[in-house]
Amino acid sequence: MEFRETFVSALRTLGSHKMRSALTMLGIIIGAGSLVAVMSLIAGLNQSVTTQFQSVGTDIISVSKFPWVQMGSSEDYRGRKDITMHDSDAIESLPSIGLVAPNIHTRRGMSYGRESMRRVRVSGTTPEYETIDNYAVESGRFLTQFDVERRRQVVVIASEVSEKLFGLRDPIGKDMQIGGKKFVVIGILEEKGDIFGETLDEHVLIPITTFRKAFGSRRSVVVDCQPADGVSMERAMDDIRALLRVRRQVPRDKPDDFAVNTQEDLTASYKQLTGVLYFAMTGIVALALLVGGIGVMNVMLVSVAERTREIGVRKAIGARRRDVTSQFLIESVILTALGGALGIGGGAGIGVLVRVATPLPAATTPAAVGLAVGFSLITGIVFGVYPALRAGRLNPIQALSYE
Amino acid sequence: MLIQLEGVTKVYEVGTEKVNALGGVSLSIEKNEYLAIMGPSGSGKSTLMNVIGCLDTPTSGSYRLKGQEVGDLDDDELAEIRSAEIGFVFQTFNLLPRMTAFQNVELPLIYSKAHRRTRAERVWGVMDAVGLRDRAMHRPSELSGGQRQRVAIARALINNPSIILADEPTGNLDSGTGEEIMQVFEGLHRAGNTIILVTHEEYIAEHANRIIRLHDGLISSDERGVRGSSLGGPVGSAERV
Repeated sequence: MEFRETFVSALRTLGSHKMRSALTMLGIIIGAGSLVAVMSLIAGLNQSVTTQFQSVGTDIISVSKFPWVQMGSSEDYRGRKDITMHDSDAIESLPSIGLVAPNIHTRRGMSYGRESMRRVRVSGTTPEYETIDNYAVESGRFLTQFDVERRRQVVVIASEVSEKLFGLRDPIGKDMQIGGKKFVVIGILEEKGDIFGETLDEHVLIPITTFRKAFGSRRSVVVDCQPADGVSMERAMDDIRALLRVRRQVPRDKPDDFAVNTQEDLTASYKQLTGVLYFAMTGIVALALLVGGIGVMNVMLVSVAERTREIGVRKAIGARRRDVTSQFLIESVILTALGGALGIGGGAGIGVLVRVATPLPAATTPAAVGLAVGFSLITGIVFGVYPALRAGRLNPIQALSYE
Repeated sequence: MLIQLEGVTKVYEVGTEKVNALGGVSLSIEKNEYLAIMGPSGSGKSTLMNVIGCLDTPTSGSYRLKGQEVGDLDDDELAEIRSAEIGFVFQTFNLLPRMTAFQNVELPLIYSKAHRRTRAERVWGVMDAVGLRDRAMHRPSELSGGQRQRVAIARALINNPSIILADEPTGNLDSGTGEEIMQVFEGLHRAGNTIILVTHEEYIAEHANRIIRLHDGLISSDERGVRGSSLGGPVGSAERV
């Protein structure tokens, strides 16, 4: 029997049981739909995270007391010694290290005239911070070595601070209060955007020396640095690790009691997260398709039973086993393919909605569509084979006398 | 010789019991015979029809159709023989309800892999032969019983089979319509077709030129030239044996 006839005949049969066909397809629709939707979201997440990671800088090594991504219990991190300015100087003297920018952080209230802001991030650092941590000055200037040496009361403010405290006025040269101390605004930073939903633009930078004098020196220092020219990240990190283990007297058999972070760590933990997401999604999709597939099999078995007589007639007038089998198999595949197509449409629709309604740039990838199509067809075949074979094997005499 | 059965037996196993549906039937049928198989229910006439129609194979003995031994063919080979050599007409018509008359008649051509372009022409040919050209695009539910049986006959004819096998073809029709259907068979016989009727109605069997009676799975009589003309219809002398 030609494929075209089989196909048309299958469509006719499914069309005559619209409700049943639709309900049968539901499981497949949900399976394929959630597959496409979740993959679209992950694609969007990937895109936005990649953009955000780029704002961190790819060749930055950040040495700190605690890692960016903490694994295990907080017990493991208790009692760690602070990282000091001396440690920072020691790192700077390593031949494998290029630029170094020690930085320390706190949150303080700040004001200008009647305008004020609470708990804004205040960082004390050095001029190298601009290059290493990808800051760009929009107007005015960044911190200089002179500012640091003289412990000048100067501040570089991020865009939101400028907007909220100064509005339309030019902040450069104005005096503002930070934590009750007077600072002169010397520069405004370009907008940096968000990372993981938190704005990077509520932030001020002051000289690290001024910071220690004004807000206290008993704070652990974060040392941001870059490898020297021609030195690999791995080599630079190894040197830092070796240096700090000696300086901090870490016994040979104990792990590091400090953290050497890179953007890789973020990427790795992000990948781990999406890995879990993929895993969970695969489970959901497999489950939905399994349930859908069982539905398909059930309906196909009912259909075979209902049409026993028809099968007998077809066989009497010359249908071979494979004619009957392929007819039923094509019916089940059409069911799941149609369900898959509807699911893909729905999933892609959810993707579009998310892109329009949220900042997440969700995108339906060809891979997601391909996967959904593949899964749908395979479900149709796997769960359609048994009923179809059963139909093909029916004895024509018994089938003809079936009431 | 078109059909040759020699010592055909058919044993069914029902549970642990064995039922001898056919106990050794030997029978020859020539091309263009018009034959009726009669017998009470349980006499084995349905089994004999199934064997002749290649829906079933004998337990023992030999069945040759056009010289070919059918007994050792598998399911698909039997299907191909049915497709090429046998046209079935059933008591309950057995048309597929979701298809039009045209599509029902076309179906055997699809299974025999006839080319799409020649199919329509052939379907219209047989629809004309049974006088249903103007009802071709209707579904079975929109046709009368007699019309349905004509569609079924057209379907049986479509592949130019060697044998038309009709199982109680008038059983679900009133006597007037039944008579019309018998006239159709009459015409087919005159046109050179071989027809085998399975019936338990004496007056239907009388349309044939040969009547075989079965009893307990054996042929109890085989009468030729018994054709009665009591029910009328144009009868040429050439058809009398």
